[in-house]
Amino acid sequence: MRIPPSRLPSYALSLGLACVASLAPETGCVQVPPDGQQPVLATHVQDWRDEVVYQLIVDRFSDGDVDNDFNVEPGSLAQYQGGDWKGIEDHLDYLQALGVTTLWISPIVQNVDSDADIDAYHGYWQQDLTQVNPHFGDLASLRAMVAAVHDRGMKVVLDIVCNHMGQVFFYDINRNGRPDDYVNGSGMPGDPVVQVSEYDPPWHPGGVLSYSQEGNSGRAPILFFNDPAINRLPPQPGILASAAAYHGFGHVEDYSVVAQRTLGDFTGGLKDLATELPEVRATLVDAFATWVEKVDFDGYRIDTIKHVESDFWPVFAGNTRARLAGEGKNDFLMFGEAFDGDDQLVGSYTMPGMLDSVFYFPQHFTVFSNVFENAYDPALAQGTDQIQQLWAQKMTNYGSQPQPGGIGVAPYKALVNFIDNHDVPRFLFASQGDVNALRNALTLLFTEDGIPNLYYGTEQEFTGGNDPANREILWTSGMPTDGDTFAHIANLARLRKAYVALRRGDTKVVWSSPHVAQEDDAGIFAFERAGGDAGSGTYALVVLNTNDFKTSSTSNGSSVMQTNAPAGTTLVDVLDPAQATYPVSATGQLQANVPAQKAMILVPQSQLVQGS
Amino acid sequence: MRTLLRCGAAALLLALLAPSRGARADTPPPPPPPPAPAVAPAPDAVPTTTPIAPSTPITLPSIPGDTGHFELGSYGRVVIASDGRGGTGRDANVIAHGDRIDEDSYGELELRREDRLAPNLTTKVVWTLGFFPPFFHFSGDQAQAIVIRNLYAQTTYDDLTLWVGSRMYRGDDIYLLDWWPLDNQNTVGGGAGYKIHWRTDETTIAAHVGMQRLDSTYQYEQIPASIPNILATQAGPGSENVTVLDRPRTIETLKLTHLVKHPNGEQKDGFKVVVYGEAQEISAGVYTDTTVNPPVQTALPADTGWLVGTEVAYWTGQRDTFVQLFLRHAEGIAAYDPLAVPLTFANDRTTRGSSETLLALGANYELGPFGLLVGGYLRSFRDGDSSPTTSQKYDEGILAVRPQLYIGERWGVALEGAFEAKRYAVLDPSTDQPLVASAWRAGIMPYFSPSGRGSYRRPQFRLIYALTARNAATRELYPAQDAFSQRPVEQFLGMGVEWWFNSSSYP
Repeated sequence: MRIPPSRLPSYALSLGLACVASLAPETGCVQVPPDGQQPVLATHVQDWRDEVVYQLIVDRFSDGDVDNDFNVEPGSLAQYQGGDWKGIEDHLDYLQALGVTTLWISPIVQNVDSDADIDAYHGYWQQDLTQVNPHFGDLASLRAMVAAVHDRGMKVVLDIVCNHMGQVFFYDINRNGRPDDYVNGSGMPGDPVVQVSEYDPPWHPGGVLSYSQEGNSGRAPILFFNDPAINRLPPQPGILASAAAYHGFGHVEDYSVVAQRTLGDFTGGLKDLATELPEVRATLVDAFATWVEKVDFDGYRIDTIKHVESDFWPVFAGNTRARLAGEGKNDFLMFGEAFDGDDQLVGSYTMPGMLDSVFYFPQHFTVFSNVFENAYDPALAQGTDQIQQLWAQKMTNYGSQPQPGGIGVAPYKALVNFIDNHDVPRFLFASQGDVNALRNALTLLFTEDGIPNLYYGTEQEFTGGNDPANREILWTSGMPTDGDTFAHIANLARLRKAYVALRRGDTKVVWSSPHVAQEDDAGIFAFERAGGDAGSGTYALVVLNTNDFKTSSTSNGSSVMQTNAPAGTTLVDVLDPAQATYPVSATGQLQANVPAQKAMILVPQSQLVQGS
Repeated sequence: MRTLLRCGAAALLLALLAPSRGARADTPPPPPPPPAPAVAPAPDAVPTTTPIAPSTPITLPSIPGDTGHFELGSYGRVVIASDGRGGTGRDANVIAHGDRIDEDSYGELELRREDRLAPNLTTKVVWTLGFFPPFFHFSGDQAQAIVIRNLYAQTTYDDLTLWVGSRMYRGDDIYLLDWWPLDNQNTVGGGAGYKIHWRTDETTIAAHVGMQRLDSTYQYEQIPASIPNILATQAGPGSENVTVLDRPRTIETLKLTHLVKHPNGEQKDGFKVVVYGEAQEISAGVYTDTTVNPPVQTALPADTGWLVGTEVAYWTGQRDTFVQLFLRHAEGIAAYDPLAVPLTFANDRTTRGSSETLLALGANYELGPFGLLVGGYLRSFRDGDSSPTTSQKYDEGILAVRPQLYIGERWGVALEGAFEAKRYAVLDPSTDQPLVASAWRAGIMPYFSPSGRGSYRRPQFRLIYALTARNAATRELYPAQDAFSQRPVEQFLGMGVEWWFNSSSYP
């Protein structure tokens, strides 16, 4: 094409414009980042006792992505607040500064979103075990978070529920095809006022009945909801959308009755699964193992285990271990929650073939509540002999051999210790704000046998009472890392890591006391961690004074604490910034005075680790 | 730019190669496309239109001494179709600006007053109503969705044009996609244009500023408030609505159009270069959720955006043969359709990090009894979400062709072929790779064109049949109960008509 000279400016302009336009910033093809794709399963843990577990409620920890803040109502703790998996990934520095090595995250699966104007922010109202809860992100963001955790040598434990689903159906008691909640009766003699809730009727042996004024007409039909607006839909997968997968006995009214406890619906109308059915068992094993395969989780925390028949657990645990081991995932931790102070009952779930560990609820009640939380009130405070008595039952009440294919540590040595959690008031609420007692309790938590588990917000001295007040929003605290309790926890985690005896040593209580008043040893509790799996010669001695009001001594009258440390050993208090020393006498005795709500962690001077 | 081309091509290729899979569980549907009102080139205020639609306007001849007259104009299309299964035919596109063979009805009615007050001074006032389906004879519903698409006045004095009002203000479209890829403003505002003549060439500079405040809690909110006591003493206690969120989007545009007439020495050929830019701003505000107690306030920060783009067009002057190429890049709030609000944000709740880059092509070729319409684009969109995986990050593209055979002067048969694909930055659960939704389409459209042969002759009375094959990933974007989540093939069998005449928006 011939271009006349007079046209050159026009063509030059056109060419220039095209060049300028082509300089627009380049944009790459959309991708799913590699860490959002299918991971290669691996075993990331050596010994679970080396871990420091941090329990967090995803919705409350950190909001890393405002775009999944669906239906958030800031400050209303019974509603979603906006936390997500991206928020966790963004704050791994915070967690590492605290000394945390394992995250226990709240459930990830799709929930019934809301029920009676309360949200499923906690994740325990599961509806579809095959989908992630979009409030917390997508599968890729979950994988990215877990991969980032693994990159730092940390682990992630997934919270699961085998006992129940959310409120996914109603009992059609009057057979009108609609969920009703009504009051009948005039209150006159012979016509009592009766409240009938088809959402959550009470326990009835043999199953909830339908009836009319003529009398009952057999089992009430179980009808699944279909309300997409709040995701109250038939549950998934497979058999879980069938009425046959549920007991249908109504909600538990007396938890001491085994039949009710294991067959009844859980608090809040959460529908009890017929976990005795092989199809239901297989579905649960598969559904949760699939998440491990998709995301590379390192363990399960299992909800409400005492509400499931005992013979479920060997099947569930055994099949899960076998499946994951075949894919390269070993030492997979499974610990259960039995919210109960009955040590025998709680321990029963760790018998051969069952779970690797349990949440040590008896210790929560007997030790952290009775001894530490109550220390502020001399009338309530209890002696440390309770601790010794409880611990003495471990070998009896808990599994004494590692589970086949399990974590390689006997359950009684791997109990998950905790001070408080999302189901009980926070320590500082129950103790009337006794921060010194909290820090002393933390010292016990980080030095005793087992796996320490820290509830999020403890490091920020949260004070919430019962649910949902104990599920505060962490990020609004600013998440500072310079607070005294934060520093104390970080120091304890550092010491636990530095001294293998504190992680794996055998335990021997060398002093406990029933005294809580003005006695010399009031509030003193001392135990050794030595030898055992930590290796010969390793030694640490922990001495705590749980008394809130006075300095106490490791002696009472003429009786002085007898240790197993070699005579003449010089022990160094590594919890003391000044690292004061304490000589063990020629007879192995150690006399030490401990200020109120303080503790000492003593190690032989010869074993002192630099920088500890 | 090369990367964009590669991405689009890769998305299309991936979609082509994606294995066929069974239906899967539902996922949310794609966001609805922005309102796609109509078709064809630019408003007559600024002569940026490629002269591609020279259907004879029904304009009264000017009469000496006649200072004014009213004009009636219209654009419209009415389509009725079956899905071949007893249901209604339905748009089966998977991208934002898909092939239009299965699009729904829409109509505009324009009333215009034109005055020539002096040989070099004219004015006009334009009212345009838009009508959206369903229409009464289909739904039985007497309520009809009617919107005002134009309500403005314009004056031209020598080479200067001024206008103020509510207006569609846009440049060239790609007919096959029913889309204005470079500039398409719908604001209430005003503008000015100035024409510079260079012997045979012509340059026009046009600027505009307008505002939009969509009825969305992103921009606008009213809450009930107690009537002031001083008034309550007369009217009694009560409440009135108070506007507490009011943050219109302000849009400034600048457009430079250089028209080269007869570059080949021919009588009718032409060449056009357009450079276009936008700046957009939105002020800060606070949204108050009064459904909770106490009310919760969410700060909405101020936001900005910009856009630059260019168009190059060439036409032969022989019938309606032309080719257009568009290139555009936008950042921030300007990356979002003017009649939509952002769905996702950066963590500071701005659109920081959002961008759009697109390359688009439109063309028509007519020779003897043959015609070929082409439309296509590659587009990359990224939202500001901190998450790398979101449905608001995607690449998409389409290539659509409509070869036609003119039979005599008034009859014709058009064939339609298109392939479109959209690659999302979300996991496809069956492949563990980005989800790539795609669709193949083939169609045939015999028609009668009373005004003669040609792709842009109207009215055009049509029989329509289109077959769309949608891949499994596409079906995943619909709820399980939606037939679109289950059926891999969609049919569209029906009839339609399209017209335009004497319209300010569709000359």
